[in-house]
Amino acid sequence: MAPSSPIGDDLLPSSMAPQNIENNIKPFYVLHKASSQGKDRKSAGQGKKRRRKEAPSSLQSPKKHEGSIAEEHDGHHLHQLQFEAFCSFWSKIESTIKDVLRNINGSVFDEILQWVMSCFNATRSTGEPSFANSIRSFPVLNGSTTRQLFTGLVITKNMEFVDDILTFEELSLFLKHQGCHVGMLSSLDFSVKNGIAGCLKALLREFMDTTMDSADISNLASWYREQGNYNKPLVLIINDLERCSRTVLSDFIPMLSEWVNRVPMILIFGVLTTVDSLRNILPSHVLHHLCPCKFMLGSPTDRMDSIIEAVLLKHCAIFSIGYKVALFLRNNFLNKDGTLTSFIRALKIACMLHFSVEPLSLILSQALAEEDQEDGKFALPPDTVLKYVHELPSRARNQMADETGRNLAQGFSNLVSVKKLWSTAVLCLHQAGKYNRIRLLDLFCEALFLSKASDCHVGNGNDSGLPSSNSNQQRSIIQECGYISQIFRKVRDFPPEMLFQLVKSWEISTAGVVEIHDKLKTLQSSLRCEDGKRPTKSTDSKKEAARISLNSEKDSRILNSLVVTFMNDLVRSFMRPISCTPFHEISCFNDVEKLQLALTGDPRSRIQVDLLNSNKILQCSCCKKSSSALLPSMHDSSIMYSLAEEHGDLINLHDWFKSFKTIILDHKNKRKQKLKLSPHKRKRKDTNESSDPSEASIQARFCNAVTELQIIGLLRMPSKRRPDCVQRVAFGL
Amino acid sequence: MDINSEEEDGELGFSRNYFLAKELGSSSKKSTHKLSEIDIVDEQELRAAAANIEPKHEKEITSLIDGYKNMYSEWVFALRCSFSLLMYGFGSKKALLEDFASTALAEHSVIVINGYLPAINLKQVMIALAEVLSDQVKTKQKVFKSEQPFSSQSIEDLLAFLDGAETEEENCFVCVVIHNIDGPGLRDYETQQYLARLAACSHIRIVASIDHLNAPLLWDKNMVHRQFNWCWHHVPTFAPYKVEGMYYPLILAQGGSNQSVKTAAIVLQSLTPNAQSVFKVLAEHQLSHPDEEGMPISDLYSVCRERFLVSSQVTLNSHLTEFKDHELVKVRRHSDGQDCLFIPLAAEALQKVLLEVNQ
Repeated sequence: MAPSSPIGDDLLPSSMAPQNIENNIKPFYVLHKASSQGKDRKSAGQGKKRRRKEAPSSLQSPKKHEGSIAEEHDGHHLHQLQFEAFCSFWSKIESTIKDVLRNINGSVFDEILQWVMSCFNATRSTGEPSFANSIRSFPVLNGSTTRQLFTGLVITKNMEFVDDILTFEELSLFLKHQGCHVGMLSSLDFSVKNGIAGCLKALLREFMDTTMDSADISNLASWYREQGNYNKPLVLIINDLERCSRTVLSDFIPMLSEWVNRVPMILIFGVLTTVDSLRNILPSHVLHHLCPCKFMLGSPTDRMDSIIEAVLLKHCAIFSIGYKVALFLRNNFLNKDGTLTSFIRALKIACMLHFSVEPLSLILSQALAEEDQEDGKFALPPDTVLKYVHELPSRARNQMADETGRNLAQGFSNLVSVKKLWSTAVLCLHQAGKYNRIRLLDLFCEALFLSKASDCHVGNGNDSGLPSSNSNQQRSIIQECGYISQIFRKVRDFPPEMLFQLVKSWEISTAGVVEIHDKLKTLQSSLRCEDGKRPTKSTDSKKEAARISLNSEKDSRILNSLVVTFMNDLVRSFMRPISCTPFHEISCFNDVEKLQLALTGDPRSRIQVDLLNSNKILQCSCCKKSSSALLPSMHDSSIMYSLAEEHGDLINLHDWFKSFKTIILDHKNKRKQKLKLSPHKRKRKDTNESSDPSEASIQARFCNAVTELQIIGLLRMPSKRRPDCVQRVAFGL
Repeated sequence: MDINSEEEDGELGFSRNYFLAKELGSSSKKSTHKLSEIDIVDEQELRAAAANIEPKHEKEITSLIDGYKNMYSEWVFALRCSFSLLMYGFGSKKALLEDFASTALAEHSVIVINGYLPAINLKQVMIALAEVLSDQVKTKQKVFKSEQPFSSQSIEDLLAFLDGAETEEENCFVCVVIHNIDGPGLRDYETQQYLARLAACSHIRIVASIDHLNAPLLWDKNMVHRQFNWCWHHVPTFAPYKVEGMYYPLILAQGGSNQSVKTAAIVLQSLTPNAQSVFKVLAEHQLSHPDEEGMPISDLYSVCRERFLVSSQVTLNSHLTEFKDHELVKVRRHSDGQDCLFIPLAAEALQKVLLEVNQ
């Protein structure tokens, strides 16, 4: 697949080859065009697939040469399969996420639609624009007052506008689907640079699908007047109001309001902060033109919980993340990035990494397909699958199964059912925690932690429930397992009505999970039994009820403890460590470092660490550090970086150069001193080898290193005020 | 369960380092050594030496870069899964990226942008991309509706084409390799916005490298998460920044007094003898009165008139304008409120200039 050039030639000196020198100074160039090679190979791969399906035994080819070719094909074929698996799996997750978000926003969207329709009817009731009016190039005003624009303010409750771009795209689709003309502009269209003209152009492009040379709103008016168009409301969505230029907006809004008779635009603004922000952005004479109405979107944490429920617990329970990854994602969401978008992106990267390093993950997508259609065939022949199966450490630990695909399938379905139980248990706990506003994200992390550590902890718990603060060890569990124990404490104080409500909700969510559902049935019957003992059930008068409930406090305590026991049972029996289940590697991604690196990178500290540890990265024998001393054989920029660390925010170039020179020459001098003591022969030989570098070359190396440090952004060049100093820009890692 | 404390420690450490460095800079005696105290070799010699620096660890660098070849398949996989690749780490990644593109991406078209150059016309790049893509689509689909040439289309239309051109093959994309996406030619916000929109196109994949520590500050969350969709890779190469550093001045070649003497002399020699003489008057005054802030314009005028160098204030002003334009002369306010002229050169340098001009 590689063009046949020797490796050495290809890499370092490539920038020195004549055609490359020319390319190096071109702003851009075409390196190569797509070859047909890839296509051939692909079809060859597919051919292979077909042939294998027909006769899997033909794999064991006697000739070694052919074998290696087959292996290469296998590799490529495997990649192709992994890619397909990833695509189908991720598209499923993506659509699940979209559905979840759509459901969350559904009620708000309906509300907005209703409002849009009532606005539309209001504008129409004041009379349709006549054709004669609409082709005039200036607006006609009804009466002396200007009309107001209907404005919907959609409060996003989220400072991160990234998450809401998707929401507004959905809203636009939704409204279009309901028969509105919808245009969407962003703050980029309301920039000072483009001014009102750019903004109008974008507006016309949104509605009329053609680029107009002259941005004239009368074009829009005549377009709207055209057949059919005026039967639908015109909606303009601006998704990030706060980022728009206020001058352009305050030109735009009065203009729209002047034309409101002929272009009855309904505005929808996305507002990141509060309703007041409109007042801060726009002057009062512009606000005058708006007739606002407020809508609220759900908070990002609510959305996060629903996504976790749908993606990691409910539908796609086959792919999961380990404790460390979950914790990293949680901390990233709560402390750093704060966007759902980055959470979803992280999941996608995790998924991709998982598929690319875990060949058996193909089974994941197969299993998903199985859920839909009882297919059950593996895309890879069983022998290839088994080859990878043997490499799984958990399989070796459990001494499970002979070499048959059936046992693999058995183990896998076992894994799936264990996970199903686990996630149902977590969901049940969350339902109890909802009364206490416990976030699923937190609970999810803790549950993973619990099942990671449950070997030592949960085994200790006796029937009285979780962690009461008796022994030291248990106290530590409370601290660590804060959310679950909070839920337990809360449930212990639930009034009976809430208990029954909770049990009812469990009944719905555990439907289909026999193991838990059975236990729930037992709980329900004993609850009913206990409840029957209480004479409170059918009392009419409130006083009576209050008296009896006081009396029966003791009884209700029994109900509470029954429920707590059930929950404790859930934790103990079903939140078992998944990492003990054979084949868990197939579905569980746990490489947090790799994910973190791929997701956010960390150039600021990493590049500096590179410079500090150059010898470790290069793995050279010459600069093995015994102490922290700098050696002349080290990379010049590394030496310079380490020397720069000794300076404050300003580095005197003279001093820096002197110390650099000392380091470079220091070792040579030492060696000379040593050589004086050694036999003459060796001395002559060595001095021939290492002549002192000339002053010019030292200076050139110094300049070079300074340039490199400048490129990576550690230095700022000398200012006119201080011509002898460079400024350090980065401090520490 | 909480690992927050670790991160906070890191951040605290970071700010502590900053203040320590500031303190170190202000408290300890500032070194007053001048750069001119180093005996700097001639610029040409310096450049020659810089071009012939003996590379260190050549073997190790080659094997380090070779080591990354194992990751090519992983990178291609990420690209196919519609991520963009972002390479960082110390050392030039130019050769590495080009090797990756020419070996592992042979089945896709590849366009290279040299972001380290000072100016890049992004529209030209997009036109080239659109042409390459339409070639690819044409060969695969045969039927292609003829439209106006790409070179006369707007950026919006080009982006729309790159995003929406229909092909039967799903995974048909053109790869854009951007060396130094944080380079001087691409660093402004608008260009980055266009690059981000380019990256979001369905038929484009980006493989980019950054070198600057603060490069991520170029992008907002929308660009990072929804448009570029970076998959970061740490690939230090320690290869010399030869091409990337082309446009950076050598630090020892620029600021030295030799340099300013030379430029000053060259400028003066191109002026008329009268103008040179006016400069000499000013220079002599400055040399004989080293403690004064400068020479008042009226004094200069009277001296020059006495020596028949200028006939009027207007002529003198035209000479002075010439000097100021070349930064040979500057104006500052004298303590008594008068404007006065001075030459921004040290006494030694000024003497050298006079010597050179007199030759």
